[in-house]
Amino acid sequence: MSEKFSATLRLGDLNDYISPSQGCVVSLKASSTRQDKSQNLEKVGTATKPLQTEPVKISLKDCLACSGCITSAETVMLEKQSLDEFLSNIDRGKAVIVSLSPQSRAALAVHFGLSPVQVFRKLTTFFKSLGVKALFDTSCSRDLSLIESCNEFIARYKISQSTGDEKSKQSLPMIASACPGWICYAEKTLGSYILPYISSVKSPQQTIGAIIKNHICQNLCLRPDEVYHVTVMPCYDKKLEAARDDFVFQLESPGDTHGNTGLEITEVDSVLTTGEVLDLIQSKSVDFKALEESSLDKLLVNVNEEGHFYGVHGSSGGYADTIFRYAAKFLFGKEIKGPLDFKIIRNSDFRELSLEVEGKIVLRFALCYGFRNLQNVVRKIKIGKCEYHFLEIMACPSGCLNGGGQIKPKLGQSVKDLIQSLEIAYTENVLVADPFENPIIKGLYAAWLEQPGSEKAKKHMHTEYHPLVKSITSQLQNW
Amino acid sequence: MSLIDESFELREIQRLEGHTDRVWSLAWKPATGIGGVPAVLASCSGDKTVRIWEQSRLTGSFECKAVLEETHTRTVRSCAWSPSGKLLATGSFDATTAIWDKVGDDYECVSTLEGHENEVKSVSWNASGSLLATCGRDKSVWIWEVLPGNEFECVSVLQGHTQDVKMVQWHPSMDILCSCSYDNTIKVWAEDGDSDDWHCVQTINESSDGHSSTVWALSFNSSGDKMVTCSDDLTIKIWGADIMKMQSGDGIAPWKHICTLSGYHDRTIFSAHWSREGIIASGAADDAIRLFVPGENGLIDGPTYKLLLKKDQAHDMDVNSVQWSSAENRLLASASDDGTIKIWELAPPSGK
Repeated sequence: MSEKFSATLRLGDLNDYISPSQGCVVSLKASSTRQDKSQNLEKVGTATKPLQTEPVKISLKDCLACSGCITSAETVMLEKQSLDEFLSNIDRGKAVIVSLSPQSRAALAVHFGLSPVQVFRKLTTFFKSLGVKALFDTSCSRDLSLIESCNEFIARYKISQSTGDEKSKQSLPMIASACPGWICYAEKTLGSYILPYISSVKSPQQTIGAIIKNHICQNLCLRPDEVYHVTVMPCYDKKLEAARDDFVFQLESPGDTHGNTGLEITEVDSVLTTGEVLDLIQSKSVDFKALEESSLDKLLVNVNEEGHFYGVHGSSGGYADTIFRYAAKFLFGKEIKGPLDFKIIRNSDFRELSLEVEGKIVLRFALCYGFRNLQNVVRKIKIGKCEYHFLEIMACPSGCLNGGGQIKPKLGQSVKDLIQSLEIAYTENVLVADPFENPIIKGLYAAWLEQPGSEKAKKHMHTEYHPLVKSITSQLQNW
Repeated sequence: MSLIDESFELREIQRLEGHTDRVWSLAWKPATGIGGVPAVLASCSGDKTVRIWEQSRLTGSFECKAVLEETHTRTVRSCAWSPSGKLLATGSFDATTAIWDKVGDDYECVSTLEGHENEVKSVSWNASGSLLATCGRDKSVWIWEVLPGNEFECVSVLQGHTQDVKMVQWHPSMDILCSCSYDNTIKVWAEDGDSDDWHCVQTINESSDGHSSTVWALSFNSSGDKMVTCSDDLTIKIWGADIMKMQSGDGIAPWKHICTLSGYHDRTIFSAHWSREGIIASGAADDAIRLFVPGENGLIDGPTYKLLLKKDQAHDMDVNSVQWSSAENRLLASASDDGTIKIWELAPPSGK
C-alpha cells in the first residue's frame, strides 16, 4: 500500500537510519541485510555484508510502511486509518460522517462509467446502507480554504510591497498548503527557509474537518466526540496530514455539564483513499452501477437547486487560478473572465501565469507539480531568484488527480490516458463558480467565522508548520 | 599484433602524497597530456578536499597545484570534469554536489546542487556537457541540465534502485545513463520522447546474468558498444549493445552479457576502467591492480578477456579507483585507502 505515498514523501524518507535496535520487520521477513549507515562505513558495511542468496529486498515502499524507518507509531496510525477501523466505528454506534474529495469522485466516475453526480448519489446510497450519517463534499470546504487563501495572499502581497525588512522578504512567494506530501517534505528536508512562504490556510480536508467538528455537528444535534469523520482522498499522504497534532483541538465548552471540557477532538479521524473505497464497494459485493441515486446532503455539498455541481477551475484545487483572479481584481481592478492562459514553461507540470499592468508584470503565478519541478523552484527561492508571487506546488506529477491513492489504470490503459479521462470527468457538468459566492460558505461566515481572516477564521482555518531537526531522535518523533 | 601477445609491465612513475585521508576517486582532465598541454588530474578524499595535480613540463613529475577545500563539509566521494574541461563537479557525503570553475589560478565553487537526501556517491557529465547526473545513498539518480550562468535545473529524479546507488556514468556518445547499486543491479536510463521525462529502459540483475552482490563501478569502452561492471561478487562483467541501432534512432538496444571474468579476484572489486585502446584496469580490496585485454577472437565461446598482468601490492591498502588517461600516453592513475595516488605507465619491460 505504501507505494501510493507521493514520490516526494518517499524521497523524503530515504534516510535509511534503520537502527538495529528498532529492528526492520521487512528485512527480517526477506532475510536480507541493512544498508551501511555512516559515511566512513561505506566499505566496512559491504565487507561485512553476509553472503546473499537473493538480492536485498527492502524497497523504498517497504521502508515507509516499516516501523523502523519513520516511527513505530506510524504503523499504528495507518492501521487506525483502515477500512476495518471505519466499519468498526459504525458498528460501535459512532455518528460516522464521510467527506468525499472531487478527485475521488472523478476517479470512481471514470471507473464505473458514470457521471460524477451519479457517483455521488450512488455513494450516498452505499455509505448510508452501511450506517453512515452523511456524505459531504470537500470541494465545498475547499471554497472556504480558497477564500482564506485569497485573503492571506493580499495581506502578504501588501507586506512585500512595504519597505524591506526581513518579514517583507519572506512574505512572497506564497506557496499553497493543500499538498501533504509537499508539506512533509518541506518540514523534514527543507526546513525553516521555506516554511514561512507556505500558506497558513488548512487544506480542504482539514477545513471540512474543522467545520464538522466545531460547527456543523451542532446543527446535526451531535457532540463532536460522537462524530467519527472520514475523508475519501486521492492521496495516501492525506492520512499523515490527518494525523498531525496540529489538527487536534481541545473541546472548550464553559459551563459544559457533560464533563466534556478538555476532551481532545480530531478534525479528521480517518482517511480512506479512492482505491480503498473501491475495495470496500467490491468487498460488499455491491452492483454499484445498479444502486439507487439518493438525494445529496446539501448541508456541505456544492450542488445547486437544479442538481448541478459547482466549484472552481483546476483539478488540484484551483489555488493559483482562484487567487490570481481575486488578486487581479482586488489589487489592480482587472476582472478576468473565462479560462486563464497558463503557459507551459519546461514541461506540462510547470505552467506559468502572469498579469501585466502598464507594461510591467505585477502578478506571476505558477503551477508546479512533481518532484523535479518542485526542486527547481525551491532552489530558486533558496538563492533568492524566485520571481513568482504564488506557487501551487503539488508533489505528484499531473497533480492531485494522479494521487497515489487513486484507482490504478485498467489493464492496457496508460497513466496518461487515465489522467486525461479523469480531467474530463473532473469538470463534467461542474458549473464554474466563484468561492466567494458559495451560499454555504457565506452561511458559515455569517453564523460562525465572521469574515475572512478574522480571529475565529485564524483559529479554526489556519495552521502552522514545524521544521524538523535532523537527528535520529527527531526521526522518531516525525509524526 | 594484439596487446595480449606483447609483454608489459606497470611501472610506478610517481606517488602523489598530500591527502590526509583515504582517496576515493580520480578524474583526468580532458584534452590535457597531449599536444604540449600538461596532464591534469583531480583527486578527492575523505579529508573533505579535492586536489588538482599537474604534470610539470620540465620535470615531467606531478605537482599539487590547488587544494579545493572549505566547501564540502564531509568526504568528497566523486569528481568529474565536464567534457570541455572547464568545470569540475564534485559529489560529497555532505549531500551536495559542487561545481568548480577555474578563475585565474584559483578554483572557485560557482554552484552548489542540493536535493539529495544524504550522501552523494557519484557524479557524471554527458558527452556534450549539457547534462550532469548524480546519485547517492537516498537510492535516487538525479539529472541536472546545465544552463547559462552556471545555473543548473533538475530535469529528473529517478527512483528505481532499491538501495544506495554507487555510480552513474553517461554513455560516451549518446544521452543514455547507466547506474549501478548496492541492490546488485545495473540500470539503464533514457529520455522518454513522449513525456519529456527520463525512465528506466533496462535493469540488469542476477537473473539476467548480472551481479550477485553490490555493483561498485562501470565504465564504457571508447566506441561505446561495450560496458564493463565490477562487483563485490568478485567478478567483472562485460556487456555489449547494438549502438548502431540506437544511433540510427531505432529505439533502445538492450545491453547483453558478453562474458564474466571470474577467478581473478578474491576481494571486492571497487573500480574498473576501460582505456582508449581497450585495456580494462581493475582496482580491488586486495590492494592490487589488474589489467585485462581481449583474447583471441573467433572462439566458439564468443569473446574472451585475458589477464594481461597483475600488480600486487600496488598500494598498501584497498584500491578505490583506477583511471586511464585519455591521452595516448598509457598512463594509469590509482587512488587508495592508504591516502596516496599513484601514477603508472604501461610499458614494455625495462631492460628489454
